[in-house]
Amino acid sequence: MNRILKSRVLKTTALAAAVMSVAGVAQAQERQQLRIVGSSTVYPFASYVVEEFGATTDYQTPVIESTGSGGGLKLFCEGPGIDTPDITNASRRIKISEFKRCQENGVTDITEAKIGYDGIVLAEASEGHEQLNLTRKQIFLALAAKVPQNGKLVDNPYEKWSDIDPSLPDREIEVYGPPTTSGTRDAFEELVMEHASENMKAYGGEGYTDIRQDGAYIDAGENDNLIVQRIQENTTAFGIFGYSFLEENQDILMAASIGGVEPKPEAIGSGKYPVARSLFFYVKNQHADSVPAMYPYANLFLSEKMIGPMGYLKGLGLIPLPEKLREEQREDLANRETLKLSDLK
Amino acid sequence: MSQSFEEISAQLKKRHRRSARMKWMTMGALILAAVFLVFFISDMVVRGWPAFQQAQIKVDITYNEQSKEIPLAAVNETVRPLVSRGVFRTLPQRMESNPELMGTTKTQWVIADSPVDQYLQGNKSELSAEAREVVDRLVRQGRAELKFNTRFFTAGDSKMPELAGIAAAAIGTLMTMLVTMSVCFPIGVMTAVYLEEFAPDNKLTQIVEININNLAAVPSILFGLLGLAIYIGFFGVPRSSPLVGGLTLALMTLPVIIISTRAALRSVPDSIRHAAFGVGCSRWQVVRDHVLPVSLPGILTGSIIGLAQAMGETAPLILVGMVAFIPEASMTLTDASTVMPAQIFTWASEPDSAFAEKTAGGILVLLAVLIFLNALAVWLRNKFERRW
Amino acid sequence: MFFREIDMSTNIVFLLFCAGLVGLGGVAFVLSRAKATRVRATGTSMYAQPDQYGWFAVLTTAGPALLISALGAFVLLLMGADIPLLYLLAASLVIAAIGLVLGLNQVRPDFHARRAIESVIRKLLAAAAAISILTTLGILISIVGEALRFFQLHSFWDFITGTTWNPGASFLSSAGRGEDGGSAAQFGSVPLFAGTFMITLIAMLVAIPVGLGAAVYMVEFAPARVRQAAKPVLEVLAGIPTVVYGVFAALTVAPLVVDIAGLFGLEASYSNALAPGLVMGIMIIPFISSLSDDVINSVPSSLREGALALGITKGEMVRNVVVPAAAPGIISASLLAVSRALGETMIVVMAAGMRPNLTANPLEDMTTVTVSIVAALTGDQEFGSAQTLSAFALGLVLFIVTLTLNIVSVIMIRRFREKYRVNNL
Repeated sequence: MNRILKSRVLKTTALAAAVMSVAGVAQAQERQQLRIVGSSTVYPFASYVVEEFGATTDYQTPVIESTGSGGGLKLFCEGPGIDTPDITNASRRIKISEFKRCQENGVTDITEAKIGYDGIVLAEASEGHEQLNLTRKQIFLALAAKVPQNGKLVDNPYEKWSDIDPSLPDREIEVYGPPTTSGTRDAFEELVMEHASENMKAYGGEGYTDIRQDGAYIDAGENDNLIVQRIQENTTAFGIFGYSFLEENQDILMAASIGGVEPKPEAIGSGKYPVARSLFFYVKNQHADSVPAMYPYANLFLSEKMIGPMGYLKGLGLIPLPEKLREEQREDLANRETLKLSDLK
Repeated sequence: MSQSFEEISAQLKKRHRRSARMKWMTMGALILAAVFLVFFISDMVVRGWPAFQQAQIKVDITYNEQSKEIPLAAVNETVRPLVSRGVFRTLPQRMESNPELMGTTKTQWVIADSPVDQYLQGNKSELSAEAREVVDRLVRQGRAELKFNTRFFTAGDSKMPELAGIAAAAIGTLMTMLVTMSVCFPIGVMTAVYLEEFAPDNKLTQIVEININNLAAVPSILFGLLGLAIYIGFFGVPRSSPLVGGLTLALMTLPVIIISTRAALRSVPDSIRHAAFGVGCSRWQVVRDHVLPVSLPGILTGSIIGLAQAMGETAPLILVGMVAFIPEASMTLTDASTVMPAQIFTWASEPDSAFAEKTAGGILVLLAVLIFLNALAVWLRNKFERRW
Repeated sequence: MFFREIDMSTNIVFLLFCAGLVGLGGVAFVLSRAKATRVRATGTSMYAQPDQYGWFAVLTTAGPALLISALGAFVLLLMGADIPLLYLLAASLVIAAIGLVLGLNQVRPDFHARRAIESVIRKLLAAAAAISILTTLGILISIVGEALRFFQLHSFWDFITGTTWNPGASFLSSAGRGEDGGSAAQFGSVPLFAGTFMITLIAMLVAIPVGLGAAVYMVEFAPARVRQAAKPVLEVLAGIPTVVYGVFAALTVAPLVVDIAGLFGLEASYSNALAPGLVMGIMIIPFISSLSDDVINSVPSSLREGALALGITKGEMVRNVVVPAAAPGIISASLLAVSRALGETMIVVMAAGMRPNLTANPLEDMTTVTVSIVAALTGDQEFGSAQTLSAFALGLVLFIVTLTLNIVSVIMIRRFREKYRVNNL
């Protein structure tokens, strides 16, 4: 074969190989890699399970992104197609409006799985500070966009904690917290802001959840680690995040007790700590056949070795559910119980 | 002219002194730049060196029925909290695939848990006082020491710092660079050849040239926006894949390759071209057989430098999603993956202080690769480039 | 979308298609070359070599086929039209066969095969050059398009002049939870640009003196060996990835700034603007120094020698003759460097703050345009919410500003070139 013909064959084979690699790499109707999105609070737990899943089974390691509970549910409810996420994590229950949106977009069969409890803490660097005790009302007054003064609603004038109550520290109010895509933010607004303002006449008996935008509350993005870093450096500031981040950094952080109760696992689990919530993940049953890795991963997550009282996730700061509840979750998952609107009301 | 000789020579001396001062000040500027570099490199080396060492403990692992069920039981109770969880995690699997292990007890070196590693390195550690005593005892017995961390180069990312490695990111970088180079090298060289050899000297050509120069100066993050809007939004390329990352970087590197190839082509003296024309070659034959082979080393040098630049880019890749948690690399073009600079970025935001050394270690690896590439380009240039 | 709709069996179809093309191409080459050789053997002189007729036949066979299949694939992608892949590829193969016949036909003594091939090659090269235009168009369309969508939702005037940047609430309305959120999102970008300019200013204050000084030293004063050694040092500085600079800024420089400020009794935030500014300055030094180096080198030696002949000292010559002569070039280099600093992302993402803060104090934390772009796009990934679109609006302004700086820079360099008849800049 002469030189020219040989080079021609070589070139076309290269072209064919290039086309092949693109085509060969195209996705089939079945997807080998699980896609998980959702809460940044559940992210440390879920990525632990993801890593374990990839290391101990033959399934491909799932890909997990931290988008915030709200962001995750929005992506999850885009539709039932194979290019949508299979599982979304949430640090609060799915809202009725989100559930309806799911139904409207064709995502009609989802199973809810509760994995444990979590407390939202208001933490600061422990160096040089004493244990602080706050009431929910005080936190509300520090962060609300409008507060009542002389019976009227005015823009929040409080600059320092001591302005609200002289017994509080003489520090500027500076709080790093999650953005609106975050379930932690939703839970905080519900459990602290709404609860504190429900009985205030100035708000007309309805809960008020607007957070001030004048710089006292700093939106720190979906990365809770960043909040931890910031309050370490900026020792006068506070941070709002889930209990697991407090536990991971116990030696350098300290959380305020709220309503006289310190955020400890027993207090959170029993509900005595007022700002406690549950952590969930939602499974898209409609992907059962096209994504074979989905149920094995979910089962691993709900197994005793993960969420049990001797489980690995407890070591990361997850507060386990009572045994009966854990069994219930596993049963629901095995039966692929469809979540109904009536469950959420 | 009524100045005395003394006045004039005094003035002259002052002027010369001022001139010498300028020399020293500008030299100082250069030295300052060099000092920055030295300070920076040594800071990174000091921070990153510990990443290449990993504490390991020699333990007895008992393989029996009990340890298959509860892996934690395979190791003696005092040593158990000191061993990394990653070791226990894979025990059941290992026993499945190697049945001859059942019923035996093997002594081997295993990776220690991160607090132990931090303690042995002399950093702040959350080890309890009793645990520290155990570790000290093991060190005295020669059963615990810092060894070279090969896992850093063979493993992917992990939530446990002692298990984290840069391999998955390196594979991601490889795949992404493959896509980038296979798109932008042919197109870049073809464009440069056209502009240099074939294009007529008219307005259209000038517009193309201005356009390329502008593209070279566009901030890289805008290419990320382009990738997000057009590749992911419009064409539906899977997010976080080397394909979309490579295509985004390809557009960014294109101007670099075009400009350096043009410089290489321009450095070929016209006499070569004229000689080829003189023997009757057509324009394409002149380019293909005379200009290109001669300028090839220069073209390759420019491409390697462009490749090195693309390897260090992070911002556009963040926007197309390549900052996922990737413990295991896949060699396909459409699965989610990450690249080395993005891995460094995610490690830098981990709060666990053990990741700080991994960040710096990753930086050292990346810098080593880049220095190698740049040195390769310089060597190519020196060895093969012809001086006319 | 395209990548999801293909399934495994299309692999086989692709394989067959490629095999078919290769086969037809090979046949075309062999047949036409043989025919040309035969014609030549009869003694007629032909305009081209037999090989070239062969290649031309390959072009007519494979070319149209590839074009049609690529066009069809494009249509599949964009219009989502339902052309079964099989038919498309089969049709292409048929076209290839027709092309083969036509190509064979063209093996005539009076046909300039070589010229035909070369004109095709020329068009191919021109098409490659057009891709760069397409890229710019792509950038413009994507950024301008999305930015316009943003400006339909929020007023342009508020964007340019507003001083509160708080995009948070826009997520809720796009998630269908409009009733949940409270105050409306605000998109006043002034604090972002203030932060960007502050950090850029600090960077320039570091980079210009050091870069220019180093360049002057290397051109005017340094012995050749020092120049040789200094070049790689500066090249290394230029080659360090920005994420590495970012880690350096966040881990080492920021705490240093806080400590030093503490010595003076000043309070500095750990996310202060000084740290990323300083590190960005270090990063830009090579830019300024290498560009200034070229410019200063190009100042004609006649100017230097004339000045020295009048008896002034070397320092005076540099200060009063060379640098002013090179001024347009140096300004051009500085403008390019400013443009680079404005668009820099990683250093500020890692070392600067997250809080939009309109202040003149570099020790406070503030955020910049590029950080806000990244923050807006990582998290809520849906297109269409005002938060995502705000990133494009910011990107558009960034693009326009850097483009303007680049154009001014090129104009200045051109003026320098014309003034001194320099060809190599």
